[in-house]
Amino acid sequence: MSNDTDKSPFERRAAELLRESADSLDAATRSKLTQGRHAALDNIRSRPAWLDLRVLAPGGAVAAAAIVAVVFWTGANHRPVTDGGGALDDIELLADADAYEISQESDLDFIEWAATQGEKDVAGT
Amino acid sequence: MSSCPATYVSATLPALADSPRRDIFLSATTDSTSQALNAFLASVERRAFRTAQIALRHEQDALDAVQDAMLQLARRYARRPSEEWRPLFYRILENRIRDLQRRRTVRARVLAFLPWSSEEDEDNPVERAPDPAPGPAAEVEGGQIGSALQAAVGRLPARQREAFLLRNLEGLDVAETAAAMGCSEGSVKTHYSRAVHALREQLGEFMT
Repeated sequence: MSNDTDKSPFERRAAELLRESADSLDAATRSKLTQGRHAALDNIRSRPAWLDLRVLAPGGAVAAAAIVAVVFWTGANHRPVTDGGGALDDIELLADADAYEISQESDLDFIEWAATQGEKDVAGT
Repeated sequence: MSSCPATYVSATLPALADSPRRDIFLSATTDSTSQALNAFLASVERRAFRTAQIALRHEQDALDAVQDAMLQLARRYARRPSEEWRPLFYRILENRIRDLQRRRTVRARVLAFLPWSSEEDEDNPVERAPDPAPGPAAEVEGGQIGSALQAAVGRLPARQREAFLLRNLEGLDVAETAAAMGCSEGSVKTHYSRAVHALREQLGEFMT
């Protein structure tokens, strides 16, 4: 609580006037405040004990942990493939030795010529 | 406020974890908690009402703000140590006052914008007119220094008003005021000294 001795006379007089005004409230207002207070207190009296936060906290913590675990588990199984598409192509290329050699061949005209020759041979037979 | 059922509850409850006596203990202590809370609320409700009335300048809104603050304290923080009730209560009250002021401002703007707002909802020009009161001097001459002070405090910026009322009407010290306002003690000192300076300029000569 505040110590009034370190305040100036002006502040002490102001505090005195304000407290007087609070103490001199009319009966109707005092009655309404009392009713409001009782309504607030009824709220905690009628509240069941199991709604107490300390009772709910352990169950809530377990439920939150379970939700986090499920989110991580399903997230891991549904990894998007868009970023890995290029990498998959590279793996297929490396696995296919012929394709890799063709991709390294600088003379693409020769490759096209060889391919057309092969098609002609097939058509001729 | 040294003997406090809420503190006793906080200290004893962990010892009864997983015990069938826990529910019995909780229901038995609810009465003592509500008695302590009743005493606390009864000790602050009048000053809280005056604080809200000075800020809101409306008796019914002030009553609503105080009742709501009491309800929120009882509902959310009744089982917290009673030493924490005072700053918590005033923090809830100040938030509620701010909410009501914001709601009032928004409502006035919306109603001013809507062409079909009814006459009842329209701004009352009498309310918007400048205060016909001739100022603190005339009120003081009429023996109403208390009213003059309340009106002057009500015209202060919100944070200055909060600091001044929490320190002088509610009687909180700087640390408690900082906790209630949700700011540092340095900020409280700044707001408070500005409030005192402004009020002294208006009323100083009448209040010495």
